Amino acid sequence: MSEQRLRSSCACGWEVTGTADEVVAATIEHGGKVHNMEATRDQVLARAEVVDDGSSQAGSAA
Amino acid sequence: MPPAWDVEGPVQAEVFVVWLNDDVLELTGPDGPVPWMLELGATEHPVEVVDRIVRDVVGDPLLVHSTSWRRERDAVILSFVVVIDEGLVADMDSRPVARTDLARSEATVAPRDIATDQVVEHALRHLAWLAEDDPVVREELSPAWHAALATYVPEPFRNLG
Repeated sequence: MSEQRLRSSCACGWEVTGTADEVVAATIEHGGKVHNMEATRDQVLARAEVVDDGSSQAGSAA
Repeated sequence: MPPAWDVEGPVQAEVFVVWLNDDVLELTGPDGPVPWMLELGATEHPVEVVDRIVRDVVGDPLLVHSTSWRRERDAVILSFVVVIDEGLVADMDSRPVARTDLARSEATVAPRDIATDQVVEHALRHLAWLAEDDPVVREELSPAWHAALATYVPEPFRNLG
């Protein structure tokens, strides 16, 4: 059984899709590097949405 | 759907990255030609944060300057103009800066609605003021930049709302 995939998005248009670990890492990096924001794993996961399409890859737009 | 991440906090920076494309001033940034929002911590110096983030994400800027402030998004928004060399634009989306009238305050009340183009218009008017008044800015800007700013009425730092 494959791991659940999540999506996290930023108001600037950036988004990432991947496993929980991938989404948390990418979101914390994006927030810190691009917006000077700090976030915890729990905060990222609380705002992430479950993706039922498992074809997307983790990545970033900014 | 959960809310998207967005910059929060009582003090935020709004960065306008501008560059000179031949003789046309253009707006760009890592998110494209839109305001680039940064969170400002309670103990952080706004200019230092903007300078550091711009260097990390875009590259070394020619100028970083605060130009106005206003209340919006349940926060105080500090607007910054950041001048970059054309070599840093790379694949960032960009568009020519639109000219517009300024958002003017009433005698005792701030302007109610302020559009991004109006904030950029004021930012470039303030840069035009600095280009005349501040020797560092005057020296850093090329003759082509001075020519482009000559069409802007110089304005001091302002409260826009």
